[in-house]
Amino acid sequence: MGLTEITNERLGEKYYSVKHSSGLRILICPKEGFRSAYAVIGTRFGSINSSFINNGRKITVPDGTAHYLEHKLFESEEGDAFSQYARTGASANAYTSFDVTCYLFSCTERFDESLGILFDLVRSPYFTPETVAKEQGIIGQEIKMYDDSPEWRVNINLMQAMYSEHSINKDIAGTVETIAQITPEILYDCYNSYYNLNNMVLCVAGNITPEQVLAVADSKLTKDEPSVTESLMPEEPYKVKQDYIEQTLPVAVPLFSLGYKEDGGSGYVTSKESLCTAILLEAFAGEGSELYRELLDKKLINSSFAAEYIDGTGYRYISFSGESREPKLAAEIIKKAVVELHEKGISEEDFENARNCTYGRIARSWDSPSAIATDLINSQFTGREIFEPINLISGLTVNDVNERLRSELDPENFCLSVIKGIEAAVEDKSI
Amino acid sequence: MSDLVRKQICEGVTFDTIQDNRFKAGRLNIKLITPLSRKTAAENALLACVLTRSCKKYPDFTSLYRRLNELYGAALFPAIRKVGDFQVISLLASGLDDRYALKGESVSSELAELLCSILFEPKLVNGCFDEEDVEQERRQILEQIDSEFNDKRGFAIKRCIEIMCRDELYSVNRYGGREEVLAITQDDLVSAWKRLLDNAAVSVMKLGGGDPQGVYEKMESRFAGKPRRIKGATAIVSNVSEVKRAAETDEISQSKLVMGYRCKYPESNRECVANSLMSVILGGAPTSKLFLNVREKQSLCYYCASMADNEKGILLIDSGVETDKIEKTEKAVTEQVELLKSGDLTDDELIHAKLLLKNAYISSLDSLGAMDSYYAARALRESPASPQESAEIAESITRNEILELASCIKLDTVFSLVGN
Repeated sequence: MGLTEITNERLGEKYYSVKHSSGLRILICPKEGFRSAYAVIGTRFGSINSSFINNGRKITVPDGTAHYLEHKLFESEEGDAFSQYARTGASANAYTSFDVTCYLFSCTERFDESLGILFDLVRSPYFTPETVAKEQGIIGQEIKMYDDSPEWRVNINLMQAMYSEHSINKDIAGTVETIAQITPEILYDCYNSYYNLNNMVLCVAGNITPEQVLAVADSKLTKDEPSVTESLMPEEPYKVKQDYIEQTLPVAVPLFSLGYKEDGGSGYVTSKESLCTAILLEAFAGEGSELYRELLDKKLINSSFAAEYIDGTGYRYISFSGESREPKLAAEIIKKAVVELHEKGISEEDFENARNCTYGRIARSWDSPSAIATDLINSQFTGREIFEPINLISGLTVNDVNERLRSELDPENFCLSVIKGIEAAVEDKSI
Repeated sequence: MSDLVRKQICEGVTFDTIQDNRFKAGRLNIKLITPLSRKTAAENALLACVLTRSCKKYPDFTSLYRRLNELYGAALFPAIRKVGDFQVISLLASGLDDRYALKGESVSSELAELLCSILFEPKLVNGCFDEEDVEQERRQILEQIDSEFNDKRGFAIKRCIEIMCRDELYSVNRYGGREEVLAITQDDLVSAWKRLLDNAAVSVMKLGGGDPQGVYEKMESRFAGKPRRIKGATAIVSNVSEVKRAAETDEISQSKLVMGYRCKYPESNRECVANSLMSVILGGAPTSKLFLNVREKQSLCYYCASMADNEKGILLIDSGVETDKIEKTEKAVTEQVELLKSGDLTDDELIHAKLLLKNAYISSLDSLGAMDSYYAARALRESPASPQESAEIAESITRNEILELASCIKLDTVFSLVGN
């Protein structure tokens, strides 16, 4: 079996990559001296994959199905995976995002057994009308919990207002109504279409060896023939659907998220593009920036303020979000700064300052097995090799970043999402 | 590796080092420990925020943060926590280990210097803090206090504690109260600064690589020969004459139920671990009594968890439920607590909880932040067990020890935040 070693001298780190005979891609990063290990297995199946063609059959599933499937995979005919993990002491969990579903555990002993449980979990679907029905109440409460979360709502509303067609505009967990339509057949359809080992990745980091991981894979995994499932994504226009959306919730401090939509592209951006955007956002809106200072001085943001770049299958956008007593005013100032940014670009000095900061952040992400394994699995899903940023960063110039800026932060293509308090305590002064 | 080495500078001032070369980051935490009071809690919290905003050398927010960016995105920040009836004010610095600095600079000593200068040489004009800095940070603390209402789960827990401990200092918010924050004057802040430096117990912890000597000497020169003693003790309530009940309404789709219990205050390290273990058995894992019965069997909720606060001797159980299921959930929780009290504890339940708790203790050794938090939570204890020792203790806890502690649990307060 071809184990490829990928190393980075600057960081003094390395990991191994192998395509297992079963079809599963496995990445392994042993960390000397660490006591814990973290494993995560994921598939390219998230909330946006709600319509697809498998073996010539077109299937459309209710919103929230990927997340529902995540919950139900924990049960098999022999019982649930949590009770098996309980015997090894591993701490287990799972998550569903727009693009992927991942199952994970961390442990400090009996790693091999826990990895075996993780493999069994994703390889033995067992759905009956009774087990599926039982989850309605639990997930229903999970949905309601998120309905009350202003941080969650401000972002989900932003997606709904920015995207007209793309299913990123739907809540990941669906609604109480959509999940009521889910049946065992639907879950089996999704499982058979997306939980093929050739569509999945396992990443492990910490107190483990490649031999150990591969031995468990050899004993547990049977070969999957590659199968192709075509996800159907509707055509999404370039322009935002609307430029403003608000919701009233019982909050004492209002929240906002200002999104700048970009062309959805054909997939994930490259490492260089992603890195340039990170430096750009640090220089433009980081704590050392003029914009941050202006927003602070005008009492429009607090330490919850953050700028983020999000990209996935058919969607790309930048968001500026945080708590603000006057969300509209905060957004006006950011919008004005965006226009000026396009005129002047990032200065050499700001670039150097932001680059240093970004370098330190990347280097420090190698301190935790969970962060490493998560970054590794994301690197597979996005196609951005994990060492590329650290290799690229010293060669970058301010011109690269300003060049990148041209296709980002279109001053005409924004959307503001606001969560305001019930007493309409938000007194917005427009400027 | 990961062993804590403690030096005593004088009575009430300790300097701890966890020398560990596995990490690409380092961390320095200066903790000031003082009894809680509504007024001083607010002053101390605002002071910590003002201090970490600027210093003599970098006199405004932007210049300080640009310097931190140069130091590879280092972080300098305050953290305020309650430990029993005490307030622990942390000034923290974390940044890249020197081995990874691109230009060979010593990030760790620069950061240590910055942190010391922030505490000892703040930017004072005519003996006062900068007016604008104070107003800026006052606004942000007020927003932080207000935004506790935004997070409904946290808010319900906070309200339960306020009602349960209304006659104890523990009911004070870690940032103090809103009115107290608004009332703070320049003089208050300056005296809070002097008071903390002169009277608060000081516990410094340096974690990661690099030589601790430089910071040690700074601390020694400032604190040697200035002993201090922590006054007072956490109030422990062990008797409940009547269960307090309170409900508030809010425009939310999911109601919250929080049940507050009094426990035996765990005196020894062994009792601390046993108490934590009891909490895991009840509601700290997917195999715990509450998860299996209230969530999985009855599908009443998504979460139903228990948290033990060993420094206060209380235990909280909380859940998010349908409004018409609040009563049913309370019954279901009470049933599980009573079962444990009556001795319903299988070998498997005990073994599984032990494995999970040991896993958590040992895992914390793989993170500087987790090790720092572990010790900060035990800042009032003379000689806390290390995470490794706690894991070993967990292994040896007996069924009887758990049942003995469980028999002391008493329901004190039931709080619900009721949705419409």
